Amino acid sequence: MAAAAPAALTGDARRPGQHTWLHSMVRWLFIAVSLTFLAAVLLAPLATVFAMAFERGLQAYLRSFADPDTAAAIRLTLTTALVVVPINTMFGLAAAWAIAKFEFRGKSILITLIDLPLAISPVISGMIFVLLFGLHGWFGVWLREHDLSIIFALPGIMLATMFVTFPYVARELIPLMQQLGNAEEEAAITLGAGGWMTFFRVTLPKIRWGLVYGVVLCNARAMGEFGAVSVVSGHIRGLTNTMPLHIEILYNEYNFVGAFAVASLLTLLAALTLVVKTLVERTGYRRR
Amino acid sequence: MSITLDQVTKRYAGAPVVNDVSLDIGDGEFFVLLGPSGSGKSTLLRAIAGLSGVDHGRIALHGRDVTHVAARKRGVGLVFQNYALFGHMTVAENIEFALRVRHMRAKARRQRRQELLRLVALEGLDERLPAQLSGGQQQRVAVARALAHKPEVLLLDEPFGALDAKIREELRRTIRQVQRELGITTVLVTHDQEEAFAMADRIGIMNLGRLLEMGEPHDLYSRPATRFVATFLGAANLILARRTPDGIQMGANTVAAAERSPGVREREVVAVVRPEEVEVAASRDALSSGYFARGVVHEVVFTGALESLRVRLEDGAQAPLLAQADGDASTSLLVTRTQHEQRGFEVHPGQSVAIGVRRVHVLPTPLSSFTACAASAALTDTLSRQPLLAELAVRMKTRIAMRAEPQLGVPDAACAVDSPFVGTTAIASQTDCAHRAEWLLRRGAKDLLVVPEHAPVPQRVLIHWMGEAARSATLAVSASVLRHLSAEAVYVGIFPEQTAGAHPQHGMRELLDARSEAHLAHGLEMRTELRFGDVAPQLARRLAEAPAQMLIVGVTELTRFAQAFRGLLDGGQWPVLIVYRGSP
Repeated sequence: MAAAAPAALTGDARRPGQHTWLHSMVRWLFIAVSLTFLAAVLLAPLATVFAMAFERGLQAYLRSFADPDTAAAIRLTLTTALVVVPINTMFGLAAAWAIAKFEFRGKSILITLIDLPLAISPVISGMIFVLLFGLHGWFGVWLREHDLSIIFALPGIMLATMFVTFPYVARELIPLMQQLGNAEEEAAITLGAGGWMTFFRVTLPKIRWGLVYGVVLCNARAMGEFGAVSVVSGHIRGLTNTMPLHIEILYNEYNFVGAFAVASLLTLLAALTLVVKTLVERTGYRRR
Repeated sequence: MSITLDQVTKRYAGAPVVNDVSLDIGDGEFFVLLGPSGSGKSTLLRAIAGLSGVDHGRIALHGRDVTHVAARKRGVGLVFQNYALFGHMTVAENIEFALRVRHMRAKARRQRRQELLRLVALEGLDERLPAQLSGGQQQRVAVARALAHKPEVLLLDEPFGALDAKIREELRRTIRQVQRELGITTVLVTHDQEEAFAMADRIGIMNLGRLLEMGEPHDLYSRPATRFVATFLGAANLILARRTPDGIQMGANTVAAAERSPGVREREVVAVVRPEEVEVAASRDALSSGYFARGVVHEVVFTGALESLRVRLEDGAQAPLLAQADGDASTSLLVTRTQHEQRGFEVHPGQSVAIGVRRVHVLPTPLSSFTACAASAALTDTLSRQPLLAELAVRMKTRIAMRAEPQLGVPDAACAVDSPFVGTTAIASQTDCAHRAEWLLRRGAKDLLVVPEHAPVPQRVLIHWMGEAARSATLAVSASVLRHLSAEAVYVGIFPEQTAGAHPQHGMRELLDARSEAHLAHGLEMRTELRFGDVAPQLARRLAEAPAQMLIVGVTELTRFAQAFRGLLDGGQWPVLIVYRGSP
């Protein structure tokens, strides 16, 4: 017995070493595969965007933004985002509040409906608005009689963008608010706070990081949306072309520098969004 | 009175979670609501705070009816189990929240905050965030925050649940001290009986949404009125005994009762014997208390200050019956002994000992045990396993005895029965049931339960009595049954058709009298209904109106019993409990 015990011990002692060696091999293998994949699928195209944009030098790159149509496209995209994101933030807050705080009939239907824009193809989302507000749509005749244009105009673009981006804030807030529960709000109420005060002093600070994250995602999608907007915009240069649409047109006209210059701007906006998101996540974690 | 609850009822999805609770809490009193999880105690507390509404009844704080007043205007302080501190605010901001809401000036706020932090012994932690504090400190902050606006009432919802034993003890002392210092009326909700004993001026015990009993800790512990309270407040042995003029007869041995009452009717009762009131010794002569039975020790557990024994009672016709029906507990008696007692007489598993009982308390409940009665042994066995009867026995922590009566229901069978009926006799609901019921009642059965084959556990119990002599007994039995059911009680008053126009006030007064007697004498809250017509058909019609109903009916007269009750009992779908108080 006394002789057997140390042998068993050494056997046991060696095993963790082998384990670690194999473990690190597997780890490096996985990291290598991921990085290669990332480089091929993500970094290469990104690099291409900037390489093509600066193909004719910085002068040509800057000149392409001087084009009035390009400037109009940038303006349109920013205007759309500026209108759509706040509206969807309000909606997202309201929906998340309703779902997390109250029990009501049709709650699960509401949750499913919020996800709908994520599930259906953006082209279909655009078509819906054409079918509703287009010349031959349900409200088409009425709209023409009152000289209102929605399709192939700014309102149509905003509606389509709003439709496509409305899940983002709500989706971010619902699980967060459900997890945080009602106790703090109830405490505030028993301490004498009213509805608005409870919301601004207790609920909003509690969910602010989730909210910012949702807004950032919503904004990224609002600026980058192509499919739905393409259907409703009508591609009128200088009027109803957003940045993604304008890029396609420039590209089809073999204006590669122009196309990729705008694309690089869009990429930079997306990158900025991601930076904001990362900062938010870090701050959020530090606060916990 | 600081807090007055009057018949407060709260339902979720139709089922009452708080069922007709009436309660008065005095100024400066520390009241503890004690009950198992799901007993409705937290819901009741939230109703007092105004965080959840009530479906029925009234709530008053300091004489002001606040039933429909919003939570923010009730002026209560509430402390939650999980602290519910505002995570993004510092301790100072948390405590000053209620003052900020009331637009108090910064200087006054700071002064009040420092006063509160001193009260809960957290001076100097003003600028910390809640996440930087320990659980015990967070709960102290929560208490300070709840007291900031000088509420008239402090409500604590399981405030120590998430804390470990030592911190809990410390915080308990702090809260009791703060409460005494401020003289603030306080309600604490807990499921921990030790905590309730340690803190309460008065304890109210809840189960199944009902407030079963309330009183001072010592009274509740030594003189509980219900099985639930007896077994929930510490361990208890429930024993089926006979009450005689001399005392409490358990098996062949009579133990003098703590409360002597000469001239009492001899009947089966449920006796409570606390484990620490049981004595074991080598022989009968060595006992210093009244001899109870002999038994064999089969488990010895050392728990520090106390030693806990399980003693299996020796079988035999003379042996006392333990009331618990299920499993191993049915035959073993729980005993706890101090170190001093252990040194005097050491025991080990397998040892045969004589058992003595120092103190016995008899529950005032009129329902002691069930006896399943049918014409043959096989039928009694089937009856004893009927779901409703079995469920009632489990809930009431009692046993079901069997009794075969071959002559049961045989018309004018002259034979007398061999032995008296004890407890509640149960028979199956079938054709000719009314005749069987009358047969049994004429031979001495007092409480008779008619059990249909497929009856759900009742959600509503209808109560009626024919003849005033049965009123008190019917109410007592009803109160006892309802303590074990999550059901509402409805008294159905029935008057002959021709009096409908003549004396409506008379009927109303009778209903109100019944209600107030039920409440005062039996702690039973019941709704009332008024009907006109013949008693049995009206009751049958009322029973048919909704599913899951049960009838408890008091009877004083057996002439024409079978004819009258045929419609109610024969092959009926409803459980009916007949309370007979007349000459046999």
